Amino acid sequence: MDVTGWVLLRAFCRGLHLAGFFSAFGTMFLSATLLHKRGALRLRRLAWAGFAVACLGGAGWFLLQAADFAAAQSISDVIGALPIVAGQTRFGTLLLTRMGLLLLAMLLFQRGWPRSAALIAFGGVVAEAWLGHGGAMTGFVGTMLLFCAVLHIAAAAIWLGALPALYVALKRLPEDALLPLAQSFSPLGMACVGTLLVTAMFQFILLITYPQALFTTAYGAVALTKLVLFAALIALAVLNRFRFTPSLPASRPALLRNIGAEAVLGLAVLLAAGLILQLEPPAMADMAGM
Amino acid sequence: MRVLPLSLAVLLGTACGFPAFAHAFLKQANPAPGSRITSPPAAVLLTYTEGLEVPFCKVTVKSPSGIAVQTAKPQPVSGHADELSVPVHITAPGKYTVIWHAVSVDTHRTQGHFSFTVSP
Repeated sequence: MDVTGWVLLRAFCRGLHLAGFFSAFGTMFLSATLLHKRGALRLRRLAWAGFAVACLGGAGWFLLQAADFAAAQSISDVIGALPIVAGQTRFGTLLLTRMGLLLLAMLLFQRGWPRSAALIAFGGVVAEAWLGHGGAMTGFVGTMLLFCAVLHIAAAAIWLGALPALYVALKRLPEDALLPLAQSFSPLGMACVGTLLVTAMFQFILLITYPQALFTTAYGAVALTKLVLFAALIALAVLNRFRFTPSLPASRPALLRNIGAEAVLGLAVLLAAGLILQLEPPAMADMAGM
Repeated sequence: MRVLPLSLAVLLGTACGFPAFAHAFLKQANPAPGSRITSPPAAVLLTYTEGLEVPFCKVTVKSPSGIAVQTAKPQPVSGHADELSVPVHITAPGKYTVIWHAVSVDTHRTQGHFSFTVSP
């Protein structure tokens, strides 16, 4: 496989890891908040499925990143690099710590303590920001990017991460409970969308800087793809809010289809996020070679 | 109600004035790129635009005849996550070339090179 193939595979693993992590956290979050009084609703399997995906994607990302760090030419190079990556790099220690936090959160969730679980998992979710550009840069721009990344990741994790649990809940709950749940999820989703838009705008200004880059660079193309997918997600959310939610419970099948489509689009957005984090932002392209 | 949009505009305007790097590029070096120094340095100090994963950074310092003169792997600089130091043993005057490969804490790899001249 050539270099591009390895980068794509690493991006896929990172995106998968994000999706699994978000899904596990989102399930805990929804259980701890909007579904708190619905203790009988068993969402543990869904959370464990998210955890398994996070582990699988995380393991792939860890191995491929170690290979990239070491410029490995063979399996033995990768194996030799693993303890160094695990113990002496921010990437390794943070990834393993985040997975440890998620495991702890899962055990608490399994024991029936969704609030503690969601809080701990949230720490693991936002810690991802320190593996991005903002976490690496110093000064005002670094602080600003890091702040934006924390908010961006938190909003994405709450909104997209909660979708699978929302789907399962809306499928299982009795008819009289559907409308209150859908109505209470709407403002939460809107707050997340607003946060994602504002923080994406800041990231655009700091990392892309000029609109032409959306069409002339790989980073810009992926950012544009994310934007289109995000617009489609908002369109589906608007349909849910203004068309399907008011006519519940009769519209339950349509609402479920729409939320399922949102979850699939959300996965595509996270895979695109995994890819964009591997690419060089246009704002610093002129620095290359110094 | 006008405070929020105004603050946002100020923040955006402020942010536009700053360059973003998002990969580790060389910000400065000692000896500086292109410089002419009279006494040979004991180490080459490189400062980057981002924090580094030093165990995976590589630096080669080549003498005018192409021989590597670094005596150890890059070392982290305490309290400065964006710096690394490379001990060198330079005994002869001439033009020395520093070839660096950096790995930043956001997992990106970059590379570059520069020269300095030792001329007693």
